Amino acid sequence: SGAAPPQQEPAEPQPAPAHAATAAAYVGAETCAACHDSEATHLAGTPHGKAAFGRLSDLGCETCHGPGAAHAENPDDPALHPRVDRLSVAAQSAVCRTCHDGGQQMFWQGSRHQMRGLSCISCHSVHAPKTEQAQLKTATVSEQCFACHKDVRAETWKNSHHPIREGKISCSDCHNPHGASTPKLIRAVSVNDQCYSCHAEKRGPFLWDHPPVRESCLTCHTPHGSNHLKLQKTSVPYLCQQCHANTRHPGTLYDGLRVPTLEDPARGSNRVFNRACLDCHAAIHGSNHPSAPYLAH
Amino acid sequence: GQDAAAQGFRFRVDPLVFTLLETDVDTDSAKFEEYRDLGSGFLASLDVEGESADHNRTFDFAASRIGREDARYTLAYGLSGRYELRLDYNKIPHRFGNGGRMLWSRTGPGVYEIADPLQGAIQGAVQQQFTANRTGVTFAFLDQLLTPYLAAAQEVDLGLRRDRTAARLDLGRMGRLAWGVEYTHENRSGNRPFGASFGFNNVTELPEPIEYDTTGAELAGEWKGERGGARFGVRHSVFENDVSTLVWDNPFRATDSTDANAYQSPSSSSINGAARGFADLAPDNRSSVVFADGRARFAGDWWASGSASYNVMTQDEPLLPYTLNSAIRGIDPHTHATFDATDPANLPVRNADTEVQVLALNGDVGTRFGEAVSLVFRYRYYDYDNRSPRIEFPGYVRFHAVWEEIPRVTVPYAYARQDLGFDLDWEVFRDSSLGLAYRRQTWDREFREVEGSDEDVVTLSFDTRPTRRLNLRASYEIADRSIDGYRVEAQEESFADPEGTNNQPGLRKYAQAAREYDQWRLLADFYPTDAWTFTAGITGRDEEYDESAHGLLADEVIQYNAEVSYAPGEKLNFYLFGHRADRDVFQRGRQSGSAPSTRPIDDWSIDFDEVNDTWGLGLTSRFAEGWTADVSGNWTESDGFADFFAVPGGLPLGARTAPIDLPNYEDIELFALQGRLDYRIAENAEAGFTYRHEDYTIDSFILQDLRNYLPGALLLNADNGDYQADMFMLDLTLAF
Repeated sequence: SGAAPPQQEPAEPQPAPAHAATAAAYVGAETCAACHDSEATHLAGTPHGKAAFGRLSDLGCETCHGPGAAHAENPDDPALHPRVDRLSVAAQSAVCRTCHDGGQQMFWQGSRHQMRGLSCISCHSVHAPKTEQAQLKTATVSEQCFACHKDVRAETWKNSHHPIREGKISCSDCHNPHGASTPKLIRAVSVNDQCYSCHAEKRGPFLWDHPPVRESCLTCHTPHGSNHLKLQKTSVPYLCQQCHANTRHPGTLYDGLRVPTLEDPARGSNRVFNRACLDCHAAIHGSNHPSAPYLAH
Repeated sequence: GQDAAAQGFRFRVDPLVFTLLETDVDTDSAKFEEYRDLGSGFLASLDVEGESADHNRTFDFAASRIGREDARYTLAYGLSGRYELRLDYNKIPHRFGNGGRMLWSRTGPGVYEIADPLQGAIQGAVQQQFTANRTGVTFAFLDQLLTPYLAAAQEVDLGLRRDRTAARLDLGRMGRLAWGVEYTHENRSGNRPFGASFGFNNVTELPEPIEYDTTGAELAGEWKGERGGARFGVRHSVFENDVSTLVWDNPFRATDSTDANAYQSPSSSSINGAARGFADLAPDNRSSVVFADGRARFAGDWWASGSASYNVMTQDEPLLPYTLNSAIRGIDPHTHATFDATDPANLPVRNADTEVQVLALNGDVGTRFGEAVSLVFRYRYYDYDNRSPRIEFPGYVRFHAVWEEIPRVTVPYAYARQDLGFDLDWEVFRDSSLGLAYRRQTWDREFREVEGSDEDVVTLSFDTRPTRRLNLRASYEIADRSIDGYRVEAQEESFADPEGTNNQPGLRKYAQAAREYDQWRLLADFYPTDAWTFTAGITGRDEEYDESAHGLLADEVIQYNAEVSYAPGEKLNFYLFGHRADRDVFQRGRQSGSAPSTRPIDDWSIDFDEVNDTWGLGLTSRFAEGWTADVSGNWTESDGFADFFAVPGGLPLGARTAPIDLPNYEDIELFALQGRLDYRIAENAEAGFTYRHEDYTIDSFILQDLRNYLPGALLLNADNGDYQADMFMLDLTLAF
């Protein structure tokens, strides 16, 4: 289904970073909970409310929000509200990265999302998450991504697609939104290595390789969705003819004359219908057969 | 149990859902359940959470679509900060077609046979016609011959299922040194359509048996310090295929034979060939990786991060013989001695023995200049070093039918790719930043047409939030790739004795060719009130291959999107979105006979125009106490047109004056509408009713009017086409 866009949290004039205050200004979680009881109750059921959190910090709410004494003394003064979402984008992420600085977040610094002004709370919500795992603002990972990546959302609705809209895989199976050392936030060291994680049968190396396959699966395929068979960028046989212009059949014009009809099936060419070139060149990703230098028989 | 009791575990089941599903579909199309299981019947979902009295230990078990082909089960148990164990079992069906028909019967793993009397009868009839009048071996004759047998052929459904298991144990994630160990296994079982051809006039589509096991393991450690961290580990992956060969009977030959034209059999040229075909399926392979990642912060706001990995991929499957056709004798081109081409002992090597070593290095170094300017330098290096041996074969068997005395040699294609660049970001004023990025990508290839290329990419971006209710994002990217030449003779690398190119000499092959592209994006989010959100965007990309003589010459796409949502509170949520992608692709080819044509009049071209519209809406309303209504819908339509052009008098048109366009270059429509009504019966119980309607149509030139036998092809013709489906669901949701 389509994803409703997440509500953006409006920016306000920013107070000084909470952590700039002195330790003496901390008031303790019980003081916070005295007023913010619903937040405290909800937080107790999340990882940030677990006892283990105490091993990282004994400051409770003020671990992230900063010292609250000034706010507690003047709760009606909006300038003193210790809201993380009112910090600068960099400061917002810095709060989270105090703890979440390794693992998945190792390459956040310098990542595409960081460079384009996103922060952790662009996607995550500590106090009102829609998912238990990762505490996202939407019900699924993909919906979260589609809130910005509208073109990808549309592509997942195309005829040939990975089972993203069926919920069997999600964007984060291939991409690490927190940053990666490879372009497009790909988790693996290259596009092909990412594809091999599910399509290991295409990893080879084969006796007879198809060189563009080894360079990038994206030479022929578009991963988010296509109206052509097998996520092809352009339908076969024309996809193949974007490279192959040899004598005889690779360079031949396959127009509508070669497509069979019910009235005239005899006009059909097996180089156009069904899987076109792949009807014969079935081992297009590579072959191990001594008699298959043309990637099948 | 005892441990749980000792910890004072409290469990909560929320939710437990029982669903009764009734489905009505009007066709047998596999598309309806492509990745899902929607058959009528019961299903259930469950989530059980547990927590110890001290809140330290947690337990979570979730099961969705229990008992179904697309079920998923996850289990997590952990002691906060100390360890966490996660188990995941995910079933993913993938269906390709239902009710296909085939003359073959599966008689063993990867073995498809046609009953001997039937195979003999067909060969006899073809032989009789060929002897009487060889020009009578036509499609019409063969169609008439096969039709009664196909009417009685057995049916086959095409599909497979992935059963994925993953187990991960994390230790000490809150400490300075953490460890993680992961095990994954996937079994893929079933079949999928496969082109198992006997020649130009004898494509034989079969269900390719899929019996794959992919097993992976990873051990990694991570160290966190005050100013940085490092991750290091090893990863191993093994792919095993239980059915690595496919053997299938030739529907037109019961006995082995050969002649120089047998690859065109059955036709007026020949009716010879092999009685059985023999194909290799995906070979077992392995991948072993050692990796290390790191990051560090330095004085003066400098930081660095990087990763290195070294991957060895190997494959050493025993090779199949050249053919199973006992009539074929192999010929050594040097000695002219003949040998038995069905005996693998006569191969120059018995195993593939391929190996690729991949070294990947990535590094970023960045800093800030004051509060407003940040700079990141980036470097990427990916070296695909193919260590596979060059193996020379004295010839090969073409389509199981003819020995071709053309020595061929394997080619260990290799390449190295480097990216070097920087990103400069300047916060010109509050909540507005200007970005400039530059990247140069360099390729260095072995055995390819283009051995070296450089691509310069410059990106400008501007993001601003002039008010708290408006976000604007814009970017523009321009790129130029130059190449060091185009070696058309590279195609001859797999010929031990290059025989002279049969190829067009002009530049093409878009993945390597010189090109220019520019792409741009404009996105706006507007929040006039806290309840309303408007989003609009337009993006475009224009690729030009002006130096290419043939192949892909241009690929342009423009996309528009708009979205509105209204969420005044907890009781109402509404959204509507639309998206259009308009793509225009232009390519050119040149038709030749036996020698490459040099005549521009033999050129042809295609202009593809594809328009794709996607719409979606959703409305959720808690319209009365205890009642919730939810309506959602999606509609997507693609409309493609292939416009051909060729000059009268040239080879492509022959005696014709104009080519025939394809108005159905994948015209596809999917409409889905769902309505749901929920009523809260009690604090912990809810009843729901859902109705869903789907309507799918496809009109595609490549699948147009397919049948089991068409010229030169015996197809399965499994149903993956139109359907209309209505689904009714009653469910009861409980929590306790």
